[in-house]
Amino acid sequence: MPLVKNKVGDDCTLGKDEALADGEALVESLIKVVACYRHLASCVGGCTDSLQLRDELRQTREKAQKLSVSICQHLTLHLRDKSLPEEQRKEMELLWVAFSSSLELFHVDMCKVFRMSAIFSLDGESKLVQNGFQGGGSEVAARALSLPDLNQAESQVPAAGLEIQEQGIMEQEICRIDRMIEDMEKKVNVLRWMVEPHGPQYPDPVSSPDSASLALLSVDEEQPGNQSPCTRRQVLVLFLLFAVVLLATALSASIVFFS
Amino acid sequence: MTIRNTVRDHGQRYRPRMACLKKAERMLLEMQDPKTGVRSQPQRLVITTIPHAITGEDIVSWIAETFQIDASEAKNIGTMLVALGYIYPVQDHKRLVIKSDASLYRFQTPYFWPTQQWPVEDTDYAIYLAKRNIRKKGILELHEQEQYNRLHKWMNHKWDFIVMQAKEQYRAAKERKKPDRVVFDCQERAYWVVHRPPPGTVSAMDCGLDRRIDPNAEEPRTPDFYERIMIFTQQSIMRPRVKSSVSIAALVKYCATYNSHDPFLSKCLPSNPWLTDDVTYWNLTKPNVEIPTKMRVERWTFSFGELLSDPRGRDDFRLFLKKEFSGENLAFWEVCEDLKWGTAATMSEKAEQIYKTFLARGAPRWINIDGKTMEITVSGLRHPHRYVLDAAQTHIYMLMKKDSYGRYLKSPVFKDTLKKAIFPEEHKFTDAQLEHNSKNRRPSLSPVVLRQQEQEQRAKMAANAPVDITQLCRFTTPVPHLAVYSGITDPPSANTSPTLPFLTHSPACPSPISVALDSTSASERRVEPSEGGEGNLQAPASVCANVTKSRMPLSLRRLLKRGCSPANMFASLSPKYHSAAGSSSRIQPICPDQAGQAPPRRIGNFFQIKVDIPPECRIYPIESEDEEEENRTAFRGGGVGAKEIICPWESLTSQHEMDQ
Repeated sequence: MPLVKNKVGDDCTLGKDEALADGEALVESLIKVVACYRHLASCVGGCTDSLQLRDELRQTREKAQKLSVSICQHLTLHLRDKSLPEEQRKEMELLWVAFSSSLELFHVDMCKVFRMSAIFSLDGESKLVQNGFQGGGSEVAARALSLPDLNQAESQVPAAGLEIQEQGIMEQEICRIDRMIEDMEKKVNVLRWMVEPHGPQYPDPVSSPDSASLALLSVDEEQPGNQSPCTRRQVLVLFLLFAVVLLATALSASIVFFS
Repeated sequence: MTIRNTVRDHGQRYRPRMACLKKAERMLLEMQDPKTGVRSQPQRLVITTIPHAITGEDIVSWIAETFQIDASEAKNIGTMLVALGYIYPVQDHKRLVIKSDASLYRFQTPYFWPTQQWPVEDTDYAIYLAKRNIRKKGILELHEQEQYNRLHKWMNHKWDFIVMQAKEQYRAAKERKKPDRVVFDCQERAYWVVHRPPPGTVSAMDCGLDRRIDPNAEEPRTPDFYERIMIFTQQSIMRPRVKSSVSIAALVKYCATYNSHDPFLSKCLPSNPWLTDDVTYWNLTKPNVEIPTKMRVERWTFSFGELLSDPRGRDDFRLFLKKEFSGENLAFWEVCEDLKWGTAATMSEKAEQIYKTFLARGAPRWINIDGKTMEITVSGLRHPHRYVLDAAQTHIYMLMKKDSYGRYLKSPVFKDTLKKAIFPEEHKFTDAQLEHNSKNRRPSLSPVVLRQQEQEQRAKMAANAPVDITQLCRFTTPVPHLAVYSGITDPPSANTSPTLPFLTHSPACPSPISVALDSTSASERRVEPSEGGEGNLQAPASVCANVTKSRMPLSLRRLLKRGCSPANMFASLSPKYHSAAGSSSRIQPICPDQAGQAPPRRIGNFFQIKVDIPPECRIYPIESEDEEEENRTAFRGGGVGAKEIICPWESLTSQHEMDQ
């Protein structure tokens, strides 16, 4: 992903707008990666936990970190720029808030993954929770890494010994994110209560609601007892209708036959 | 290691430790074992099957077998696991209980476990609700809707982020396979049912107030840390010990007594407001309600402390004491409490007020405490602090407890209250009524308003404070606005005839010997010299005569050795004696012209008896001009018509000036 260093010294509004657009794109992709990381994290410790999943987690984490470092630099630079016009500044502050919130979410998820991988090590000794998952998070990881092809994510299955190394690295990375958050607060003073969001209160429902999973969920919710009377009733009604229709045809047939 | 607040506000935001969580986790891991764990089966849905579903009865029987307990106990443990969120019901997802039948449950994924270290964030909840809204608009329940609006207000700055994140999470979920998506949705939903329960449900995650210190953080082993441990162990060693038979007996007695009064252990009549949202109970047990409930009145009989701590009980007791003319005891006790718990700024004024009203000789509401205590108290009042009146207060408390309390319980006042007390009927609400109640919940009066009311009431009571009749006399001019007891029409003048020159410090009586023994620091045994015109009695006159000589200490001791008899004799002269017949210790026949007012004037030998200088010279207040006149008007005259008691410590400065 392109770094935006070339926008540093640019004073013209066009450059600033580009900077804003770049920032937005970066922040959006960070949000996407953080969302995917969360989905992957929910599989850890479960029965589908595997070295592959851990590797995917690692890759996603690295991507998120790269993104966050670049966003941090980009936004810090622009927000410390005194000559930024007011609306731009507001937009930047919005991005800043979004960035810091996603960083916090990412931090929480990293801590959880760190602790869980310590408890549920994949050496075959610790039991994994049977949580009902069947597939791993490969598709989600592919989405996170923006890879068009799933196979690219699966190409390297890491060796088992890398797990311990990963733990150590993880700890460091968590500390790094910690420090980044602190530094951010020190360098740029964004007044959170002054920031006004643009968007609606409710996210728009997706155009094609996911009817299948909705149906599954609602089926899930229903008590087993309730199902049978409903269906039975329906069946009874159908049967009655059928019987009526049959009677009608028999009558008409007899009329035709006798007339 | 979560959201960092760079502002160190020392706020309380750490969840207290819940030890059950670790144990539940271990149990859950045991359940996963394919051989010895809980049997799992696939759940067949319309389109697909989802594995790892377990039945309630399997869980309960596994727990019962593993821990060798009976089925009901196992069911309780199972319910606890569900309530904590380690297992979630697949079907009836809102009721977090385990049913020992074929209803299906599933294990929660470790990401959603309620571990101690992972606090539940509102941001996540907002994202979850937004996601649900994406899936289908209007699917949020009422309480969720309210929460959503509230979060929108409070986290407004993040709202764009929340909406974006919700969309991204939704899209990421779509990447997964269908059964996995369903399972993830169920898991998330179960997580939020546990951590943001719908109103009216009991949540297992209720763990009380947040702590200031992170219970997960390791405490650094500083010298301070070890210092604290040392102090704690030292105090534990020094703690007084009681035999276990005694302490257990006390506990048993306490439990037996309070069993029927405890709202957890027995029914709270008419109904527990926290459960049924009906505030009748609170209205009936208001501090100043007219007619108390029977349970409340019963509690007053348990102990004197109970009676005093209940404001209604205290009112009743005050009424009783009023009838017995010993209201000053309770008033003094109350005023001591006020001093103890009041603001530091007003403490010295209060102390002065207390001295003038209760402790000084000739005070309108003089209390009867023994000489030693009085001495300690008055000397402490020079530099008043919060606990200066503790000794006196304890004395009065024990007095009331041993004496008045017993009589109160047999008195008509109490019997009347008991008869009038109400016994409310138990409410029986239907479910619909309960819901109606919960919708109509109203907040109670603001504490600011309540405090104002309390203060007004206190001011009213202080304004109407009765002056105890026995203390009334010509020289204790009652302040006009003070209410005098109705029905008691003894004119003040009647009291003046037995002008008792004798000091009314018959607290000397209880401990004459002790006082006589330490005469150097004796409380003022100043016999009022020469109430010439007032001493109608020979005996007192002789006493006075004795006293006018300079042989004061001797005469005093002689007087004291005679014990209480002079006091009793004088007391019998009081028109109120008959009412006080049984309780000589309480009623103080007041000597209007007490020498007591003189001693405050002397600095050096505050409580000592002057031997060198005749007393007359020493007892006049500065304001009074008539040195010749016996100190009849010495003190009370005071320049102003109203009686004036000057506190000892005040006189210090004035005496200094006088001397210099």
